[in-house]
Amino acid sequence: MKSSKLFWTITVLSFVLFGVFNLFRQGEAETPRRSFSALVAIDSTKCIAPADSMRANHMQVLYKWRNSSVRTGHRVHVAANGSRFEKSLNTCLGCHDNKLFCFNCHMYANVKPKCWNCHLSPKETP
Amino acid sequence: MKKILMPFVMVIVLALIPYLAVHYAGLTYLFGVIVPYTAAAVLVLGVLWRLFNWMRRPVPFCIPTTCGQEKSFAWIKHNPIENPTNSWQAGIRVLTEVLFFRSLFRNTKAEWHKDANLAYGSHKWLWLGGLVFHWSLLIIVLRHARFFFVMVPGFVDILDYADGFFDIILPTFYVTDALALAAVTFLFVRRLRDAKMRILSLPTDYFPLFLIGAIVVVGVLMRYVVRLNIMPVKDQMLRLVNFSFDAPGEIGTLFYVHIFLVSVLAIYFPFSKLMHAGAIFLSPTRNLANNSRIKRHINPWNKDIKFKTYSEYEDDYRDKMKKANLPLEKQ
Repeated sequence: MKSSKLFWTITVLSFVLFGVFNLFRQGEAETPRRSFSALVAIDSTKCIAPADSMRANHMQVLYKWRNSSVRTGHRVHVAANGSRFEKSLNTCLGCHDNKLFCFNCHMYANVKPKCWNCHLSPKETP
Repeated sequence: MKKILMPFVMVIVLALIPYLAVHYAGLTYLFGVIVPYTAAAVLVLGVLWRLFNWMRRPVPFCIPTTCGQEKSFAWIKHNPIENPTNSWQAGIRVLTEVLFFRSLFRNTKAEWHKDANLAYGSHKWLWLGGLVFHWSLLIIVLRHARFFFVMVPGFVDILDYADGFFDIILPTFYVTDALALAAVTFLFVRRLRDAKMRILSLPTDYFPLFLIGAIVVVGVLMRYVVRLNIMPVKDQMLRLVNFSFDAPGEIGTLFYVHIFLVSVLAIYFPFSKLMHAGAIFLSPTRNLANNSRIKRHINPWNKDIKFKTYSEYEDDYRDKMKKANLPLEKQ
């Protein structure tokens, strides 16, 4: 008796939570998109942060870039020193054009990011 | 209440020790090299000591506890797994117990119904929770092979792929992480929900649950929330596996909390109820074949008894028996 009540409570609660969650998501989707023409000049001659901090934190940067550029359309990254970058894998790979730039470490640490599920992997470009 | 709070506070304190020591005092060598080696040594030696200690105990009697039809006449169907007659069948019985928890599957629960009838029913929640818990932990431990090998064994890659099957969030969400947390919560709540369980449960029941829960939580935080830099972690784990004593690189503090809690678990393991992992293989009620009607089991402690048969007795007292006119078998 008791456990079936618990089961129904959890089921109903999770449905309610799911509904509330989706309501908020709909609000998120309605934020106005920025047009790409508003982009500033992109500076790709230097990295957005020192190499050490990029080595340790590039995944956080890319994660934020993915979410902010794809979901809210903010495609310009302003670095700590004020220079601006387009939030794009091409910005990174423009300088880091060694084909194995990502893979050397990622193979070693056995970390498989999902970038290349959609983007063209540097290994696949001619 | 105290017996729940005490182990809880202990785990919190244990998690705070490496955090404070590494974050404020910078004792990375102690918590990244010395503590893990010590813990590994204690785990290996401790488990071996416990196992040898059990193995050298004599098992003089045939005492398997069975719950199936014993081998009998050809026309009676024998249940070879529940009632093994040779060591192969007994081995299968132990293995299925270890892998699928067969005995827990038969768990029943008695409760009073409203009309004051005592009713027994199948109760498989503990079986399900325990199974999910143990299998999740096994898969999580195997997945950690990617830290210990330069080239990860193939089956770990397959496991990794299967575990991340749902392919949601970044980095890929592992089902076993959620299942282990859910199962550990269930096992904890199970002890709280029932008055009998609350009385029976001891601090040593709660402590491993909290400790394993904390290890999983810290691991989940490192992977999904903080997104720790993994390169120095892999460097450090490869060094540990190769018995190197080099100082660790720049690793996030949470890693030290994780490895310290794992070290505590490893040190706690041989001296606690966690030894059921080895004990299940050695328990004579489960790993013996039920062949007491096929083979004669003699207690090795029994002293040799000097028997005197009737013919010997007659030989000794023949003359006296004859005088008393008692009947004799041999004249």
